[in-house]
Amino acid sequence: MPLGVAEPSLEETSSTDRPWVVLVWNDPVNLMSYVTYVLQKLFGYSYEKATQLMLQVHHDGKAVVSSGSREKSEMEVFRLHEFGLWATMQQDD
Amino acid sequence: MARWQFRPPVERYRDGFRINLDREERDLVVRLMRELRGLLLGSSDNPLLVRLFPTAYHLPEHAELDEEYQRLMREEIVASRLSGIDTVEAALTEPPPLSEAEMMALVQAVNGVRLVMAAALDVDENHDPDDIDDDDPQAADYHLYAFLSWLLEWTVRALAEL
Repeated sequence: MPLGVAEPSLEETSSTDRPWVVLVWNDPVNLMSYVTYVLQKLFGYSYEKATQLMLQVHHDGKAVVSSGSREKSEMEVFRLHEFGLWATMQQDD
Repeated sequence: MARWQFRPPVERYRDGFRINLDREERDLVVRLMRELRGLLLGSSDNPLLVRLFPTAYHLPEHAELDEEYQRLMREEIVASRLSGIDTVEAALTEPPPLSEAEMMALVQAVNGVRLVMAAALDVDENHDPDDIDDDDPQAADYHLYAFLSWLLEWTVRALAEL
């Protein structure tokens, strides 16, 4: 690397470029059938895909259900909150 | 001998959905809708509401973003829940059938009541509401919670039918 050229740090570039992911967390209240239905309805997932994600939430404690820009992810988190699901977002690792 | 025939509490027909609850159960659901509305219009620090407004940004480094989210979106969630409650109350007191939109409002509202009751009953992984003694002081609430879970399960089943 030539001396004197300021390179943006890895963190700076990645913090703007990395997509955000929407996670759904396991909780003892929301029924499995309900979670599956909400995922189908909000994301247009097939019954099979929504069931697979719901089971991942159930067994692993959480699952990434979607990814994209911060604005899109925040709207999706909001829609999930309207249904009472424990959804959060973070930048992809 | 009369033949007992099972009738699901929620059924899908060509023109919409029908809720087959008896008068008492229907009144109970309407009363719970009113209670949920009262809670949503009351103090925002009510601990019973905690599950209705989950964290959006869970990482500590995004605490400020979460504060902003809560500031802007909490009101939106309240408004959306209140409008859903109005829809459910009207749908349950008017003649059938219910539309899909009314059914969606029903699942959100019934689940909303469950989320409030779960906070009151301290439902967690080690505290199964289906496994409660009748002499438990909160037995009546646990039965109500179980009734709502049963109703929600059948409502989702009817909605998911192709």
